[in-house]
Amino acid sequence: MIELKHLERSYKTGHIESWVLRRINLNIRQGEFVTIMGPSGAGKSSLLNVLAMLDDQWRGSFHFDGVAVHELNRKQRADLARRRIGMVFQSYHLLDDLTVAENIDLPLSYKDIPKADRTALVADALDRFNIVGKKDLFPSQLSGGQQQLVGIARAVVHSPTLLLADEPTGNLHSEQAREVMELFEKLNQQGVTIVQVTHSEVNAAYGSRTIELRDGWLTSDSAAIASEVQQ
Amino acid sequence: MIDAVLQDIRYALRWLRKSPGFTLVAVLTLALGIGANTAIFTLVHAVLLKNLPVVDPNSLVRLGDNEYCCNLNLSSMGPDYTIFSYPGYKYLRDHTPEFDQLAAMQAGMADLSVRRAATNANATPRSAFGEFVSGNYFQTFGIQPYAGRVLSPADDTDAAAPVAVISYQTWQHDFAGDPSIIGSTFLMNTHPVTIIGVTPPAFYGDRMSTDPPGFFLPISQQPTLGSSPERDEASLGWLFLIGRVKPGTSLPTLQAKLSGLQQQALSTLPDMQTAYGKTQLAKAHIVLTPGGLGIANMQHQAANSLYLLMALAGLVLLIACANIANLLLVRGMGRRAETSIRLALGAFRARIIRQMLTESIVLACLGGLAGIVVAYGATSLLLALMFTDAPGLPIHAAPSLPVLGFAFAVSLLTGLLFGVAPAWLTSREEPADAMRVSSRTTKSSSSLLQRSLVVLQAALSIVLLIGAGLLGKSLNNLEHRDFGLDASNRVIVNLNPLKAGYKPEQLQGLYQQIEDKFHAMPGVQNIGLSLYTPLQGTSWSFWVFAQGEPEPAAGHFIGSSFNRANPDYFRSVGQRIIRGRAFTDADTATAPAVAIVNQAFVKRLFKPGENPIGRRIGAGVAANSSDYEIVGVVDNTKYVDAHEENDPPMFFLPLLQPGHFGPKHLDSAPAKPAAIDASLYAQALVLQMNALTPDLELNVRKTLAEIDPNLTVDHYATFASQISGNFTQERMISRLTLTFGLLALVLASVGLYGITSYGILRRTSEIGIRMALGAERTSVVSMVLRGSMLQCALGILIGIPIALLCAHFVTALSTLLFGVQFWDLTVLSLATLSLSFAAVIAGIIPARRAASIQPMDALRTE
Repeated sequence: MIELKHLERSYKTGHIESWVLRRINLNIRQGEFVTIMGPSGAGKSSLLNVLAMLDDQWRGSFHFDGVAVHELNRKQRADLARRRIGMVFQSYHLLDDLTVAENIDLPLSYKDIPKADRTALVADALDRFNIVGKKDLFPSQLSGGQQQLVGIARAVVHSPTLLLADEPTGNLHSEQAREVMELFEKLNQQGVTIVQVTHSEVNAAYGSRTIELRDGWLTSDSAAIASEVQQ
Repeated sequence: MIDAVLQDIRYALRWLRKSPGFTLVAVLTLALGIGANTAIFTLVHAVLLKNLPVVDPNSLVRLGDNEYCCNLNLSSMGPDYTIFSYPGYKYLRDHTPEFDQLAAMQAGMADLSVRRAATNANATPRSAFGEFVSGNYFQTFGIQPYAGRVLSPADDTDAAAPVAVISYQTWQHDFAGDPSIIGSTFLMNTHPVTIIGVTPPAFYGDRMSTDPPGFFLPISQQPTLGSSPERDEASLGWLFLIGRVKPGTSLPTLQAKLSGLQQQALSTLPDMQTAYGKTQLAKAHIVLTPGGLGIANMQHQAANSLYLLMALAGLVLLIACANIANLLLVRGMGRRAETSIRLALGAFRARIIRQMLTESIVLACLGGLAGIVVAYGATSLLLALMFTDAPGLPIHAAPSLPVLGFAFAVSLLTGLLFGVAPAWLTSREEPADAMRVSSRTTKSSSSLLQRSLVVLQAALSIVLLIGAGLLGKSLNNLEHRDFGLDASNRVIVNLNPLKAGYKPEQLQGLYQQIEDKFHAMPGVQNIGLSLYTPLQGTSWSFWVFAQGEPEPAAGHFIGSSFNRANPDYFRSVGQRIIRGRAFTDADTATAPAVAIVNQAFVKRLFKPGENPIGRRIGAGVAANSSDYEIVGVVDNTKYVDAHEENDPPMFFLPLLQPGHFGPKHLDSAPAKPAAIDASLYAQALVLQMNALTPDLELNVRKTLAEIDPNLTVDHYATFASQISGNFTQERMISRLTLTFGLLALVLASVGLYGITSYGILRRTSEIGIRMALGAERTSVVSMVLRGSMLQCALGILIGIPIALLCAHFVTALSTLLFGVQFWDLTVLSLATLSLSFAAVIAGIIPARRAASIQPMDALRTE
């Protein structure tokens, strides 16, 4: 599903170029649940930004379901991401001024979907995540776990094939974190490919594959290790 | 799409509700900006743009393109004709089938003394304005009566019974809408006239005026009710003409035809038989102009002022826009995370811009709604300032549909103007920022824009402040110039013995009675009687000729203002006799004809150093040049136009000595046995008092009523307020400009304060580090102040040249600046100091706050 070859990303500060991703080669298959780990500054979030197609200042090649992302312009990338990718953030990033239902509706409102269909999709998501009773509440009226639940519902309401999560349980206590991870596991079982960034070994255990970044280099990939072991 | 827009509006309202403080400040700022513009537009629309409330105003055309008024010699006013004689009107009307109707209307107004005959016979007559109009006047405008009937051509014949139509406003105001008034008889200038109908409420005549006519009278009654028998005089222009053209009429063809007809109509005038007259006749023409606005005198008078005010109000709105844009930029910084999230969730940048613009427009519309309330109050105030003592003015402060449309359009435009930059900048956020937990510092592009907006505000403010200073100084110069008069402890009473039915032979007795009665009043020092008084807004003028001097070439005649005066008149207005004598009681109707002239008259008609006393002069035509002997010379005074730099020539005749102002054959022509010299009727009484007492007006009215109850007081005012009334427009513009300038100063200061405060908030840690490293409080204060003063200084540097350019144009294109150079150094310095002082105040508060930052607290925010 995802194929990265020699992907590199750097930031220029004056005359100094700081590298955050170095020659990343990575294949992620449909239905995988991948965890990206590594210390702070290793390039985890930068890699996630590339996968989310939010960043377009990288070099190398990136294929998404056979589409050469590196050949797309900014608009085409945004369009592809809008259709195929869902995002879950560490700080939930719900919009304070919108109700739960309106927050979930947000990604749909940016697509050419008739209002009636959008309403039905939002209703499905509310039902699916068991938050129908909270649809008219504002984020400030929810607990952290409930907010992240809404964040996930918002990320999957348009049925993306890839769900990207950046420290999804970073702001939650362990019980809420467990519920969120179980939800991810369930989504993965339903066919959604998941890539999460986390520091937590416990969360990583929910995934099927773990890759590790250090100083921008991909230093470890459990899939490769497994393949070597098999060989 | 509609759903999406409605959703955006819903979110915008929610967003505004969430920040009541911001919303209140923004709505108030916008309300002031939009309100000021809407108020000025209300006047612009009512005065300059609005058609007469008549049927199909677009098919009306006016004959003429200038505003000459009111009784003019047609031989001397060409070649571009706007004013017409009655015979001339009939000639044009009868030879132009292209017009459905061609109506004539009096250029000036008829002074009427009105009393309802059927009621109490002892009731005091009231003073009113009437207008002589042709019988087809109402038919031309398509006006149907509110009650009774309107005039018809049959009413406008010498054999017809005297009738009048009363205006709805006069009917309501003076007669409480009494329906029995129709068919009743009124005494107008002592002559019986029957009221036949009431005009519809919206109709105010053929022109916008502060005193619309209360009565419409057929021209056939002019010889009876008018102040002079001008109706049949072919050489006297006193009518304006408006016609309704038939569909398909070619206006250029009609205009050419009318010009030819006008030449034919004028060709019979004696003055046109001379060589000069013939060259003038060949040039005579008529320009057709749109007639929907009616007679546009007020439009011409007020246009410059209104356009200037519109421009000034526009500047205030621009400053308000810059302020709101700055506030939005600051808020946009706070919403960067939200924008990033939206972008990360798939929002198009255009969609983000659309939503932010929707918010701006919703905000602007709320400001516009509040602005309509502000506009209503401001328009009422403007009307009171601009048109003092004009209860009949057909302009209302209540917003009309076009005014509401304007407010809405301005709101939309304003919303776009102040919203577009913040929306654009906000939409430039990077979606990847959503992945980060904490926000980062403000980008330099928005910071630069914010500072630029403050510089813009400062620049616009200095333009307004300089404008206010120049106009204020100009007004001060005008009000304190030497008019050659003394207005202290003096009152002017306007009356008209003609309206009270006096015959010329009765006037001597009346004047004597007035002098005796008022002299008996306690506190009276001098009593002046004259045709009109200085700076009253009236003027009589004639060509003048001096015996023994070469007659000027045709086309180079010397015009002079003319007035009549009793012996005490000059003392009563404080005009000094500088040579010879004043009039005396011996200058009676039968005594040798004498005149008093002013210095300007002497300068224009006689050689330098020549003694004018004893010289003879005349008026109207050269043949009259020996009519009057000059017995005195008075100081120059401002009589007609308080603004004029050069003093115009002026001559005075005794109250009752006969005047000759045209060819002598006209005075004695058998065809005009009823001809009277209207100038014999003194219309102004000047009282010089020891002191002005509160009961003076009452005593004056009582004394006049004792002399003759029919002598109505047309107007009563102190001499000082009469002079001051000449500057109403200047005063209004000056006050408004000052208000706009102060408003701009406050807005710019608030903008500077906001940006400086925000800057300090962003630089808290930097300031903390500086202080931790040993920076003193004073150096922090000066660092912050330097920043805000720099923006102010840039604004001043940009604003001053703009202000000078604008002032130069205003000076070149109008007379709004009197006695002030557009680069007046005092004004420039004061404006610069004011803005700098405001900038110091706006900067010192956040600067002191910055200096009170505790390094430990500041570093904790990092």
